[in-house]
Amino acid sequence: MKRFARARKNKQLVTGSVLACIIVLLALVGPMVFGDYNSQDLALSHKPVGTDGAFFGTDGLGRDLAARATFGIRISLIVAISVTAIAVIFGTIIGLIAGYTKGVVDSVASLVIDFIWGFPLILVAVLAAASIGSGLLPVILAVGLVNTVAIARVVRGEVLGISEKDFVVAAKAGGYSTLRILSRHVAPNVIPVALVLSSYYVAVAIIAEAALSFVGLGAQPPLPSLGQMVSEGRNYMRLNHWESTIPGVLIFVMVLSVSLIGDGLRDLLDPRLRTALERASSK
Amino acid sequence: MKSVLKTTLLTLLLLIASSLAVFAAIRLSGGDVTAARLPASATAEDRELFRQQVGLDQPILRQYVTYVGEVFTGDLGNSLTNNASISSLAVEKIKNSAILGGMSLVLVFGVGIPLGMIAALKRNSWLDTGITSFSVAGMAVPNFWLALILIYIFATVLGWLPSAGQGGIEYLILPAVVLSAEGIALTVRMTRSAMIENLSQDFVRTLRAAGLSERRIYFKHVLRNSLLPIISLAGLRVGQIVGYALVVETIFGWPGVGQQLVNAVLRRDYPVVQFFSLLLVFVVTLGNLAASVGYTLANPRLRK
Repeated sequence: MKRFARARKNKQLVTGSVLACIIVLLALVGPMVFGDYNSQDLALSHKPVGTDGAFFGTDGLGRDLAARATFGIRISLIVAISVTAIAVIFGTIIGLIAGYTKGVVDSVASLVIDFIWGFPLILVAVLAAASIGSGLLPVILAVGLVNTVAIARVVRGEVLGISEKDFVVAAKAGGYSTLRILSRHVAPNVIPVALVLSSYYVAVAIIAEAALSFVGLGAQPPLPSLGQMVSEGRNYMRLNHWESTIPGVLIFVMVLSVSLIGDGLRDLLDPRLRTALERASSK
Repeated sequence: MKSVLKTTLLTLLLLIASSLAVFAAIRLSGGDVTAARLPASATAEDRELFRQQVGLDQPILRQYVTYVGEVFTGDLGNSLTNNASISSLAVEKIKNSAILGGMSLVLVFGVGIPLGMIAALKRNSWLDTGITSFSVAGMAVPNFWLALILIYIFATVLGWLPSAGQGGIEYLILPAVVLSAEGIALTVRMTRSAMIENLSQDFVRTLRAAGLSERRIYFKHVLRNSLLPIISLAGLRVGQIVGYALVVETIFGWPGVGQQLVNAVLRRDYPVVQFFSLLLVFVVTLGNLAASVGYTLANPRLRK
């Protein structure tokens, strides 16, 4: 209860959560309210914001921008959150094993982890698109790979410190199995770090998906994606800048909300974890 | 020194492994190569013959070794779409990207460090709040959208700067600003927190007690301690700039490596994709290696 009261006082966390709720609500309800994202009517092209029946106006093909934007949020969120969630699971497991076993396994694992971690997500996604073709799949693979190693890297560092602590040494002396020590004693201490960090990686994933779709390598038409909408709208900046402003603002708000939640959660955690997180997010 | 040598050797090994992986992955799309080069009426035998001619039937490892040999002799083959020589393409694109990337790196440190210092020295003032919020926003704005906003303001509305293309220095300003925005934001944040942390250290109190002027303490002792780790990590910013250049060069029509790679991937022009992907893998790896070596050398405690 005390923790909850502290969370409510945390301005970043509150603002971030409110924004996130609005975004999730838009993604859930939007496509149902605004109708088909792909129904075209050239007679209705480039309508301004607030037109009857098209709340955010329409694009060059007369498609409802509100329907497209809210469906685009859905795609962004699904790619960013679900893939990062899987990355948290695998990253934590890899980090736990590497950090706890030490020795050769750890040396090899951390060498590879550091190497992949050094690559910018967008480059990895472009390389993936070069080998398997454009679409959401290369984005998903790239986000999965890069976020897994990013989380494994931090978890490993934390585990190295924790496995020297007395309570772990005592558990070892008590003859508990490695699996039990890792799952009952070590993991509970590193999972909060991985979870807080994951909010930053969700932000990075949202930006990467949007950027890839913007240059045409991500979500393929007719599937709407916010990055692709920004790109289509930029040719009509003078005519109706909202076509690119609305998806742009939505991406910005999504990224801002997860970053604020990340910063807020970091402040709520104990100071020891805070320094670990600051180091990790200073890439 | 020994650890530096070891890191370098291992990184080079990983570089070979990863370039081989990229090389093999690009060949996954090899089926499309014949489609891009031969007419649709070509028979299966024609396609097979073509694959033999360009050496695609060889084992991957042999193809890789042959390719590395070709890179060193400067013979990189031709583009599938316009038959341009990749070697001459490479020289021009690398030059353009180096200009843009270099300018962005200068901005990252030239703007980021002074702003971070001001924020740390005037901690909790309106100036600090302004700079800090600016840097939070700088990290949340996707750079392609920032690019569109700046183009709209400075090219469409005000007409001060060109919106895309290449020419005099005025063409460089917008892309360089966009490309460096996130790096500047990050550098401000790191400089500020490092300065604040160092200002609370015991040595500052001792220097004050010894009667040194505040200015001397800030600029000589605190600044040096704070900046060493930040600058030694400059190699990491290179990787970041390479990643974003793929998008930013495309938006601004800047004829560099990033734009070339994205266009080649869109057109499935695999010899071009191959060369420029391997080039970027190489550059990013070298940047990270430089950062790791630089960081070790800058920290006496890590030197062994």
